[in-house]
Amino acid sequence: MRFSIYRYDPESGAKPHMQDYEIEFDPSGKKVLDALIAIKEQLDESLAFRRSCREGVCGSDGLNINGVNRLACVTALEGLKEPICIRPLPRLAVIRDLIVDMGQFFQHYRAVKPYLVNLEPEPENERLQAPEERAELDGLYECILCGCCTTACPSFWWNPDKFLGPAALLQAYRFIADSRDQATDERLDYLEDPYRLFRCHGIMSCVEVCPKGLNPTAAIGRIKALLVKRAL
Amino acid sequence: MRNVGGARRGLNIWLVQRAGALVMALYLPLFGLYAWALGGAGYEAWHGLFAPLAVKVATLLFFAALLSHAWIGMREIVIDYVHCPRCLGLRLALHFSFAVLYLACLVWAADILWGLAP
Repeated sequence: MRFSIYRYDPESGAKPHMQDYEIEFDPSGKKVLDALIAIKEQLDESLAFRRSCREGVCGSDGLNINGVNRLACVTALEGLKEPICIRPLPRLAVIRDLIVDMGQFFQHYRAVKPYLVNLEPEPENERLQAPEERAELDGLYECILCGCCTTACPSFWWNPDKFLGPAALLQAYRFIADSRDQATDERLDYLEDPYRLFRCHGIMSCVEVCPKGLNPTAAIGRIKALLVKRAL
Repeated sequence: MRNVGGARRGLNIWLVQRAGALVMALYLPLFGLYAWALGGAGYEAWHGLFAPLAVKVATLLFFAALLSHAWIGMREIVIDYVHCPRCLGLRLALHFSFAVLYLACLVWAADILWGLAP
């Protein structure tokens, strides 16, 4: 199998470049991550990439594979056009090879206060929710923060420092939608500016690439609906 | 200078753009139907279409919606693409120029509509 992989070593002083690899590898039933590990073991131990759970749960190995952001560990090798072109996630600074600096991404995530804010005294056991209230969180809580959606978003490319991006906005709505949360107004206040939420133009690249099949655009639409409801 | 976010004006401007879209979505098919129902071709028929005051008002509202929609669209383009550490002046100038241009277009549209000889 043939691969073309983005290489960058900041210590060497050389410019980033694409390096070709050819490896004997049976693709049946295997994922892109399997091939990357094989390349690292057999051909080039200097190749750097992140991975952990290797089953689409941890969100460490978001990569741009043949032009599309996806998780290397759940992307089947079969059906990918060769040479398989693997690059780091777009728009984020590259630390080395396929490893990007997720600092900006997590800064936006922290900015939406991704935790319950509840001023009531803590109950003895737990804060209860009706099954329907719990169902509101379906399609929101499953996000693994891999960064595939945010780095596929043109609005994030143009304003990465000010636009929160689909992942953080999905999380913002996850807590706005939570029946146990009491900070809805503060959360909406934070999002009511021209950049943080309203740079979203409904391009829906985020929906297309999400490896968990989530829909950040729909969540953003619900936040907008709540903002309108609150204003009128 | 510190890198700042934005003032709380995202919602209103976004909402105005949606409202403008709604006005256009209502006007265009209704005007199409109206023009089709009255029938006739040529300058006289076209001239007659705009004779009632209601049509003049609706058409002017349509242009107001179109131009505000376009102005907000230009603002989005400026915010998205015109970036540099010192181009606040350029951004303001673009923003202001399009406001002046579109306002002039609106006045011009009103002049055309009300200037039609009876």
